[in-house]
Amino acid sequence: MISLRRLTKAYETPAGCFRALQSVDLEIGAGDFVAIIGKSGSGKSTLLNMVGGIDRPSSGAVSVGNTAISNLSESALARWRGRTVGFVFQFFQLLPTLTAEENVMLPMDFCGTLPTRARPKRAQVLLDRFGVLAQAHKLPSALSGGEQQRVAIARALANDPPIILADEPTGNLDSYTSDTIFRLFGELAAGGKTVVVVTHERELPVSIDRTVELADGVVMESEE
Amino acid sequence: MTAIQHKIVSDLWEGRGRTLIVVLAVAVGIAGFTAVLSAYSILTRELNNGYLSTNPPSATFYTNRVDDGIIDAVVASGSVASAEARRVVRARIKTGPMEWRPLSLFVIKDFTNIRVHKIQPEQGAWPPQSREMLIERNALQVAHAKIGETATIKIAGQQEQNLRIAGSAHDLGLAQARMENIVYGYVMLDTLGRLGQEPYFDELSVVVKGNRFDEKHIRAVAAQVKALLEARGYPVRRVDLPPPGKHPHADIMGLLLLSMSAFGFAILLLSGIVVINLVTALMAAQVRQIGMMRAIGATRWQVAAIYFGEVSLLGVDAVLIALPGGIAGGRALCRYLAVLLNFDMTSFVLPTWVYLLVLAAGIMVPLAAAALPIIKGTSITVWQAMADYGVGGESFGTSRLEQVLVALGGTFRPLLMVVRNTLRRRRRFVLTVVTLAASGVVFISALNIRASLIRTLDRSFATKQYDLWVTFNGLYPIDELQRATRGIHGIIRTEGWIVTEASFAAQGEESESPSLSGHAPSEGRSDGLFTVIALPPRTNLLRMEILAGRALQADDTNAIIVNSSLAARRPTLMIGDTINLRIGPAVLPWRVVGIAREPFSTPTAYVSQRRSEDLGRRDGMANSLRIALDRPDAATLKAAKIALDRNFEHDQLPAVGSSTKAETRYGFDQHMLMIYVFLLITSALISVVGGLGLMTSTMLNVMERRREIGILRAIGATPLMISLTVIAESVVTGLVSWGAAALVAWPVSKAVGNWLVSAMFQTSLDFHFEPIGLGVWLAVSAAIAIVASVLPAVRASRVTVREALART
Repeated sequence: MISLRRLTKAYETPAGCFRALQSVDLEIGAGDFVAIIGKSGSGKSTLLNMVGGIDRPSSGAVSVGNTAISNLSESALARWRGRTVGFVFQFFQLLPTLTAEENVMLPMDFCGTLPTRARPKRAQVLLDRFGVLAQAHKLPSALSGGEQQRVAIARALANDPPIILADEPTGNLDSYTSDTIFRLFGELAAGGKTVVVVTHERELPVSIDRTVELADGVVMESEE
Repeated sequence: MTAIQHKIVSDLWEGRGRTLIVVLAVAVGIAGFTAVLSAYSILTRELNNGYLSTNPPSATFYTNRVDDGIIDAVVASGSVASAEARRVVRARIKTGPMEWRPLSLFVIKDFTNIRVHKIQPEQGAWPPQSREMLIERNALQVAHAKIGETATIKIAGQQEQNLRIAGSAHDLGLAQARMENIVYGYVMLDTLGRLGQEPYFDELSVVVKGNRFDEKHIRAVAAQVKALLEARGYPVRRVDLPPPGKHPHADIMGLLLLSMSAFGFAILLLSGIVVINLVTALMAAQVRQIGMMRAIGATRWQVAAIYFGEVSLLGVDAVLIALPGGIAGGRALCRYLAVLLNFDMTSFVLPTWVYLLVLAAGIMVPLAAAALPIIKGTSITVWQAMADYGVGGESFGTSRLEQVLVALGGTFRPLLMVVRNTLRRRRRFVLTVVTLAASGVVFISALNIRASLIRTLDRSFATKQYDLWVTFNGLYPIDELQRATRGIHGIIRTEGWIVTEASFAAQGEESESPSLSGHAPSEGRSDGLFTVIALPPRTNLLRMEILAGRALQADDTNAIIVNSSLAARRPTLMIGDTINLRIGPAVLPWRVVGIAREPFSTPTAYVSQRRSEDLGRRDGMANSLRIALDRPDAATLKAAKIALDRNFEHDQLPAVGSSTKAETRYGFDQHMLMIYVFLLITSALISVVGGLGLMTSTMLNVMERRREIGILRAIGATPLMISLTVIAESVVTGLVSWGAAALVAWPVSKAVGNWLVSAMFQTSLDFHFEPIGLGVWLAVSAAIAIVASVLPAVRASRVTVREALART
């Protein structure tokens, strides 16, 4: 499903060249629930960005399914992202001027995955699935952190993408809400989605298929 | 460089794109202000200096005949510095086959020694010899003549004569010949004799000794000279006292330039709005830096000084960029107005005060604009500053408007986002809208004022039911005048009118005692000359618009109607008042029965011809023939003029001039065009400022929403979609500004139009709203919004998801 080959990412900084990832090889199968762990600055988020087509590698290749995403143009990459990947971020990153329901419908608008009339229903189903239907018409500023993250997960599933990428999705949440969120990811993986979660927590409340540990941009350990 | 200085420069450099745009916006404002201010300073100096170099007369006395003896006596009286005799003969000059233009022929005694009202040689020969004529440089075009050619001249009652055009002259004291549609010629006395006129002078122009700018002194000297002339047997029929040392058009030009300066300053103020937006965003973005500086020991005012320093630097940069363009614009304006006023620029040197004022305004306006955001931004406590989430930390949905927008909903989320985002920074949005709307208001006003001027003139000209008029050198029987028009194709009606001059007579003034008259009203003496027209009892060729009172009636004898211009000269004048008018040597009482609306007209009064005997005329006589045509097109008018000319010649009725309504209208239209063009230029400048303001605002929005743009990209928005979102947001702002402009354009354009026209022409407008202005401005504001957002849109589309999300 996801294949990283000799992936290297280097950044030019005032202090010199910084290698965030160094010759990383990684395969993630369809329906896997993978946790990427490591210390701050180890390259976890960079790796996730590479998988999601948010950033481009300095060298090496990223393939998702049959698509070599490193070769896609910016526009093609955006369309690919919208249909193939659902992102969940640490700070929820909901659009502040749109209601919860509108936030969920936005990816559908961009990608045109459903007829216009069908989109509200789909959004409501997703919000209901994650227990925030009652908040559908509220703006993000009126929601709690946990509610915002549930809406963000609903948004990530708007176009029914096969891959869910989450970058420290519980970093801003209390432990109870964090557990709930992880359970939701577990349910998604069980439902056939490929879920890749970047986290700094070693003890997760759900069973995961695989843990990939990074240190200084190098894969140190990959446990099944 | 100290750390603080380094911060000032680096802050501006870091956001150099938007800094440059704000500097440009302020520079446009300063350039506009500099242009009009410099034009004002240069023109007032040059015009008055140029005019004074002609040694303009302090007073001109009109008598029967002026000879060397009386000139010597006047000079010897001790109160006069110089005196000179002159004569002006009204004639016509042939400008084409059977086509004539009015010619004012100035007869000068000695071209090599002109002492008063000097003219300068321009091209060709100087001085003109016998049977030669000089033509004012701007009148050559009106005369359709070239130097070296022979012109055909006709003085009323005389045979046509040929004069060689020996050269051209520059006469600064006269209005632009092209605007007036008149030819000014200059001949020596001998030539006058050869034109069949008795060679003598009848005007005496004097320049007073002592303070030539003191009107009181001039009046006293004029009274002495008048007494001397009369004592020596030279009856004075009129005395002209022009405003001392002032070009006849200096006041109106000063007023025009001051109006322009006011608009220029308004543009500068509007550019300050762009500064407010920039500084507000800068202060929001630097909250943590402010907190940090406060935490390490900076006082609030030390921090504020840093940002005031940045704004000052911005202002200085704007002044440096604006000055060359502003000065060039000022020079262009000077050249344009110099052509209109018929004078030559000798120096474009700007006085130091202009530089100082521009520098002060260029720095103070941005500083004043930035003061509130800086004071507010630096008043934050250290704790508040360090806890701030930066510029993206605002909460949407707290205001009523935002809640309404959310409740309204919509089916296309990107568009919802655009509309709601537009209103997220409400103060910035409102300020941007105000700047753009201001340009819209001025643009729509320009169109409205133009339409209103046209309507006002149309209405005014519609009261005149004649198309052509011919003036004669004296009174002739109306029957004879009308007989000469019979059989001419197209003429359907004629009337003989008496046109003469009058002045308000002072209380107790009696007949046979001519008063002083001049352009400047003077308490207790005279109010200047105005036109009096004696109409047939039942005129069909003038449908006066009566504002108050009534029209003239067939049995009226001493009734008089004053037009609005004359009424404005005497604001206390009431219907029913009796006024004493000096008409020729006679002072007669008249009862005011009505006030007629005549915008843009010279002060005029109307009386009935029933009382023409009182004016020293005989019944059934006229000196002007008004002619109505069935089809007043150019060809019919031309044919009628040719035929009339031939018939009057045949019947020995000496016409001195003729004119058409179209020719008069052309002169008015030229003056109106000046106002229209000025407003359009102002609107264009404000549009540039508004466009740059919108660009700054959009750039700031993009900067502040980079993270959101990153999210949009992450969930599938393509770069094109991001660009379109930014452009759409800008267009929404443009459309709102259009709506705001449309709302206020009516009252504002009415007020601005009335203000400009009343200041320049002492009249009011028939206001007309031009709906097309709204349509045009809708397209223009959308275009400005699109152009202004292209750069921010491209930048937004290049925001990478990783960079955007890294900025949490």
